[in-house]
Amino acid sequence: MLPRVLITGTGAVCPLGRSPQEFYRRLRAGETAIRPMTDAERGTLQATHVARCDGFSPQPEIPAMKARRFDRGSQFAIVACAQALAEARYDVAADPEAIGIAMGTGSAGAGAVTEFLRVLLQESPEAAPPFHFPNTVANAPASQVSIELKLHGPNVTITQKDPSALNALLFASLSIGSGRARAMIAGAVDEWNAIYAMGFDRVGALRGERRASGIVQGEGAFALLLEEEGSALARGARPLARLAGIAVVGVPTDPYRFAPDAGAIERVVRGALADAGTETGGVTLWFPSRDGVVEMDRAERAAMEAVFGAPPPALSVKDAIGEMAAAGGGQLVAACRALAAAEEWPASAPRRALVNSFGAGGNFLAAVIESVP
Amino acid sequence: MIAPRPPRPPAGDARARECVRILNVKTSQRRVVVTGLGAVTSIGTNLSDFWKNLIAGMCGIRPLSLFDASGYRTRTAAEVTDIPDGFLTAAEKRRMSRADRMGLAAASEAIRGSGLDLSREDPRRVGVILGGGTSGLLDSEEFYGRYLRGQNARPSRILNHLPDAITDRLAQRFQLEGIKSTITTACSSSANALGFAFDAIRAGFAEVVLTGGSDVLARLTYGGFNSLRSVDPDPCRPFDRERRGLSIGEAAGILVFEEAEHARRRGAPVLAEFRGYGVTSDAFHMTAPDPSGAAGGRTIRAALGSARLNASDVDYVNAHGTATSQNDSAETAAVKSGLGERAREIPVSSIKSMIGHCLCASGAIEAVATVLTIRDGIVPPTIHYENPDPACDLDVVPNVAREVAVDVAISNSFAFGGNSSVIVLARFDGAP
Repeated sequence: MLPRVLITGTGAVCPLGRSPQEFYRRLRAGETAIRPMTDAERGTLQATHVARCDGFSPQPEIPAMKARRFDRGSQFAIVACAQALAEARYDVAADPEAIGIAMGTGSAGAGAVTEFLRVLLQESPEAAPPFHFPNTVANAPASQVSIELKLHGPNVTITQKDPSALNALLFASLSIGSGRARAMIAGAVDEWNAIYAMGFDRVGALRGERRASGIVQGEGAFALLLEEEGSALARGARPLARLAGIAVVGVPTDPYRFAPDAGAIERVVRGALADAGTETGGVTLWFPSRDGVVEMDRAERAAMEAVFGAPPPALSVKDAIGEMAAAGGGQLVAACRALAAAEEWPASAPRRALVNSFGAGGNFLAAVIESVP
Repeated sequence: MIAPRPPRPPAGDARARECVRILNVKTSQRRVVVTGLGAVTSIGTNLSDFWKNLIAGMCGIRPLSLFDASGYRTRTAAEVTDIPDGFLTAAEKRRMSRADRMGLAAASEAIRGSGLDLSREDPRRVGVILGGGTSGLLDSEEFYGRYLRGQNARPSRILNHLPDAITDRLAQRFQLEGIKSTITTACSSSANALGFAFDAIRAGFAEVVLTGGSDVLARLTYGGFNSLRSVDPDPCRPFDRERRGLSIGEAAGILVFEEAEHARRRGAPVLAEFRGYGVTSDAFHMTAPDPSGAAGGRTIRAALGSARLNASDVDYVNAHGTATSQNDSAETAAVKSGLGERAREIPVSSIKSMIGHCLCASGAIEAVATVLTIRDGIVPPTIHYENPDPACDLDVVPNVAREVAVDVAISNSFAFGGNSSVIVLARFDGAP
């Protein structure tokens, strides 16, 4: 009997809602949180739009006095992870060493990095505020989550372009599969930062007035609670879905260039399906990687047609919350909610959802999530 | 040096082998061996110089020249002065970060040493999993400084900013199409990358993974540790009673991890076996280690459990040994907690006394040294050691290398955020 991985809880703090339920309901209703930038956000950028967690408050999960100690990304992450544990009714204290966390991020630490360096470069190295330095590390959010939620198991953060969240899912699955943990939070977090936005705009990554192809940036945090099936069922957990398959493919290219390689996408999708023990059957919902980078979106469409003929219906998360390294976390959370609410899908109740997540530098991941009878 | 791109294998067979169920790792009998090593450090920019100078007790901590150090509280670092990147064209060098160039040099050396002929490997079965460090930050800092001063700043300077840039760069250079990932857990990044590479090979994601890390000096990290008053103005003194903090360094350490049967089939030189690893969170504090050592001890036990070995099997501990007051006493407690009564009989050394704290590359370069310790039966010393500290009462191999037969060694890495990781390396018994 192979150890299998169930998803028993979800969390979401994102531009489209501050809970996984609200996020999924509004996504399903076709809403989008992408909005024009304010003048302050936009500055001199050619980019015009953004999706942010406007009005986010870390309360009630984090008391106000305490919240001030955390950067914005850590606040998002703590709230999303606390939601996932609460939904799963998971008792961390029963065995804190059995549960760990893997988080994907592209920008965690950006606020602290840019502020620390601003003072260092503009004033002097000795004036740079020590308070910010510990938060410059990308693993600050995952570590703050471990400290706040008292998780004593594995604790890692992964950065691998847009598919960072699926990389974290892969690491978390391996941690459970190898017996390093019985439960893992697979999460993702990103914070919007004006200096990083300026950088992305200048290197031509953002869609805007002068560029039709490119991404709209988002921010937020997502979490899935993964549990080894045997121990989850033994504690009476009610699973939302099962992680059925995952695959990863690389294409050699410069780190900042796209490799719009339909063949690679076809391989990674077929790989995830084969890992799930299925060919194309039963995939009734597709969470595309599509994010507005025209040549990548075109390659994804071509690859999906090559695999499926007529691809399954798509639910585009990035049209609703923008693109970021954490966006795959949003796709995964939405996939779990859709599978758990199959009765909402009269035509073809989703049994399996395919989550695609591709990024610059030739990074391609795909995962298959399936419903649990 | 760079192998030509091999012909693609037929799609059908690749698909079947590419995607192994990931959830059956526990039943996997696959073993992971180290078949190649590469090193670029302040005391030697190739493997043999690094090792020769390491066991000679050479100090690589010198006045910093990479950027203007005059405004900082300290002025020394373990800086790499001559990156062996002659195989790159001028145009390639311009496109790459310093970390890229160091990492590529170390990776080329590791592949060469492993005897791998990449033109004969299926590129889809060869991956890259690294610890992510400052990457192109040094260039980004210059861009940002110009931006803040209202000067013209060239955006090409920030293209390598993200820590995963070097992972893509290695895969590009060697035309690899397998799994790519970058762990960013600060000072334990590359130790965790080795662990991820181990899990990925065991789970069938790859036959070969280039793993390790390359991390270079930058104003952010140099200024950051200075702002925390954790840097010794003089070369660092791990485990010494008078220790005053760390010395910041830079390095690239790359290891070729290979599935044992794959290595056997091609008659590869097996340097050691990567037996397992442990990774935990002490959930204590962002920057301070748990002084009781309980969490570190738990990580050591988890690592030995993963390796199916006992505390009594451990012959050598390659310490994290940063030379901060808090780390070294907490680590001493952790080693005692993890290894029990025998802890004081086991040689424990910190090579950071020679090459500084190479941050996100430290776990990798220390793993390289640990493999060589197993290969040659020589334990590198902890240099600058003068004054015993009752709180650090382990055998720290003071100042002079020692001949010790080492079959099993562990290497510790601890990081901001309470991340702690311990890897286990062992002499390969050659059994299939």
